Amino acid sequence: MSKVYTWDQLFSRRQFIKGAAAGAALGVSAGLGFLAPDNMFAVEHSALKTAANESSELQKVTTICEQCVWRCGVIAKVDNGIVKKLEGNPDHPNNVGKLCPRGNAGIETLYSPDRIKFPLIRAGARGSGLWRRASWDEALTYTADQMKKIKDKYGAKAMMFNSTDNLSQPFFEILLKAYGSPNYGTQRSLCFNAMTTGFLYTYGVPQPGTDYKNCKYMIFAGRNLAEGISNNETQEMIEMIARGTKVVVLDPRFSKTASKATEWLPIRPGTDSAFFLAIINIIIKEKLFKKDFITTYTQGFDDLVQEVKDYTPKWAEQKCEIPAATIERIAREFAAAAPAAIAHPNWRTSNFKNSFQTERAIAVLNALIGNWAQPGGLIPDQEINTAKLGVLSHPPFPQAQGIRLDGVPWQYPLVPLSYGVIQTMRDNILSGKPYEAKGWLISRQNPILSIPERQKTINAFMKLDFVAVIDIQASDTAYYADVILPESSYLERYDGLIPIGSKIFIRQPVIEPLYDTKSSLMIYKELADKLGLGDFLPYKDERDLLAKQLKPFSITLDELEKAGHYVVPNFKKDHSKDFEFQTSSGKIEISSSIMAQMGKKAVPAWDEPPRPPKDHYYLLTGKTAQHTQMFTQNNRWLLEVFSENRAWLHTSVAAKLGIKTDDDVVLESDVGKVTIKAKVTEGIRPDCIFMVGGFGHVSKGLKSAYKLGASDSALHKTITDPLSGSSALSETFVTVSKA
Amino acid sequence: MTVRMGFVIITSRCIDCDACMVACRAENDVPIGKTRNWVKSSGVQGEFPKVKEVFQPGNCMHCDHPPCVSVCPTGASQKRPDGIVIVETSKCIGCKYCLTACPYDARFANPETGKADKCTFCLQRLEQGLKPACVQTCLGKSRQAGDLNDPESVVAKLLAKYPSRQLLTYVGTGPNIYYIDDVVPEIPEGN
Repeated sequence: MSKVYTWDQLFSRRQFIKGAAAGAALGVSAGLGFLAPDNMFAVEHSALKTAANESSELQKVTTICEQCVWRCGVIAKVDNGIVKKLEGNPDHPNNVGKLCPRGNAGIETLYSPDRIKFPLIRAGARGSGLWRRASWDEALTYTADQMKKIKDKYGAKAMMFNSTDNLSQPFFEILLKAYGSPNYGTQRSLCFNAMTTGFLYTYGVPQPGTDYKNCKYMIFAGRNLAEGISNNETQEMIEMIARGTKVVVLDPRFSKTASKATEWLPIRPGTDSAFFLAIINIIIKEKLFKKDFITTYTQGFDDLVQEVKDYTPKWAEQKCEIPAATIERIAREFAAAAPAAIAHPNWRTSNFKNSFQTERAIAVLNALIGNWAQPGGLIPDQEINTAKLGVLSHPPFPQAQGIRLDGVPWQYPLVPLSYGVIQTMRDNILSGKPYEAKGWLISRQNPILSIPERQKTINAFMKLDFVAVIDIQASDTAYYADVILPESSYLERYDGLIPIGSKIFIRQPVIEPLYDTKSSLMIYKELADKLGLGDFLPYKDERDLLAKQLKPFSITLDELEKAGHYVVPNFKKDHSKDFEFQTSSGKIEISSSIMAQMGKKAVPAWDEPPRPPKDHYYLLTGKTAQHTQMFTQNNRWLLEVFSENRAWLHTSVAAKLGIKTDDDVVLESDVGKVTIKAKVTEGIRPDCIFMVGGFGHVSKGLKSAYKLGASDSALHKTITDPLSGSSALSETFVTVSKA
Repeated sequence: MTVRMGFVIITSRCIDCDACMVACRAENDVPIGKTRNWVKSSGVQGEFPKVKEVFQPGNCMHCDHPPCVSVCPTGASQKRPDGIVIVETSKCIGCKYCLTACPYDARFANPETGKADKCTFCLQRLEQGLKPACVQTCLGKSRQAGDLNDPESVVAKLLAKYPSRQLLTYVGTGPNIYYIDDVVPEIPEGN
């Protein structure tokens, strides 16, 4: 057996070997040459850059960013095999030439000394941090053998699969279906399930677009584009504000979006639906709605009229703490701007058990002013308006046996199978109900840090027979794995092609892999081969797959790689189906057929959220522009601009508790306790504590991020909206004290 | 007319995302722990819920009368004919006088070389006809750069149309970053 290493030994920065840099500088394929046992360790970025100083051969390679999930176009400047600079691709609609701080810091992700450089198999107790190096053949054979053993003994359902929102996800789903497990976990229920289900059951579209360019009045209630950057939308928001569009932000915290907005309304957490129901009340009472649109395209208006008649602004003021006069004014202003007005579908509004109702109220409010497919309104999401890639043919999938561990649909009938409810999956690993889970294959996700009640998630991992993780770095989840299959970073690999409207974009390697890593496309493929499922992923290598995807078009892969994107000629947008709503009734459902069938109130209605008990505070979490979920906290360039998360607390609370900015404070919920630095501010409601999520890593393989800041998932209780499956994160209340 | 390179920064368009800082680090190999540019915040001003916050990006002001140049004992710190203030590193002896002299705290000692380091206006990019990295990446088009003396430049057009301010004018260095706080609906076309 080969030597056993600790994380410290594996990733020691002192072990930088000059030969390694020279090898990398010359672009040695896969870096195998310098991965001999005694010099296989970290390569310092600065040293790499120095090694290539005298070069003149500057190449530009077009690819796609993966510092978050937005998929911006990137042009990489590569100097003799060293990536020197990343810039936005002006031809890409997702970012039109700009990169956010995370996109600019992709170089540090690539050259991080904490990259996983070869396959690892656990060599001590799970979570001990003891590993041995394995060959790809050994690691994949081991993974396949464990997966086969589980299937033979307990059935395919005992194996869980987890991946979210990356370009190779469709191929991961093929692997899952070919294996035959019903248990698919995504991060959706920790993110925006309330928005997607709310709009799905109103318009038949989970995530309609928003026409910022022509919008004259915008209400945001959970879309913080200045800090949750979605590059082109963030740019459009800045332009919209500069143009003088009225922007109203509902947020208990003074976010950076709020600081740019026309009006900040520090609403009481969980009461957004009271605000929107009262807006609807005024719009109906004062007949400010679009009657013709409602008659033609919607169902259930009369039921809504009945339901909202008591939701007066005065009533709402008691609930949401926004003055009745303000609500009335906004209702009138909003209706006057119609149809160039949007109550934004938002993103992470899914913070309470009532969030599905909040999103339904927002969806219905938009319908009342008839902004669907109008300039400045909601944009129908049109599959038919996206170029269709060539598809792989494979044998029919086996029937998945057994119900799902995450309660979809038997406990959560409204939640789409492709979203799932991952926190319930975790709970059922622990409970062993309705059956015992045995194994988990996780691709580029970090459930240990993302699911509420981190300790429970760690306990669930400890209970499993087998855990395999595919990642580029030692995430907290990888730290608790049995085998780590190291993925090449996004600058070193191919992924599936990306059609956006009439354009087709490519992620392609801008340099050869620095280490003994593979693309997920090949990891899935080779794992499928070893499982005897190779026919389901019928491609030789990445380029073979991409060529097949490109088959319907008159361009070769070589040409696409050079050009960076392809415009499908004569591609015409089809708007003939804009008003064919994919709902049960074929109409916009003000009154939801499915809710009625389930015996629930079919129109949006008030559902009282809980309040914190005495001496407790709402715990709010959110984003910062400089980091992505749980993925970038180990990126040293990003730590330079956002070094750790802090607990925001209002000046009056701080004065009462004797806390100053930078003091350590202890936050304690029913399920956990963390110590974190304080940030004292006037920019938050006195009944709230806010922290940016994703810090407080437990993996010692993330040298810079380990123990930096505090983890929100260590505090969050597991509370689930029974309708959308969303994790109701802000129903966690905490106490605060000076450490 | 002589060239006078400078920046115009529209604070109303800055969201404090810090993309400019990371782009500068990448472009100029700025060592960890140091930075050539910044985004400062006013902090949350006022009392809840009537509050505001303003973000102010900055870097070397490429002053008309740069004190960093006049205190430099070796002539390493120089003002170029186009107005850009640079450090000729081969002449720099690392005495750090210039670090102290700069009223904007725009310089640092590079821990790798021991020499004075600062914003170079991305000279290597200007030579290729490109904007500085911080300007190129700015999501809000808040950062603009160019020849302040060229009436056809974006920066000159902005200054002609909107009121602007400079920082610490009383120290008399003649800073060449002009701040526009007003709402700017459209960035003019220009050089």
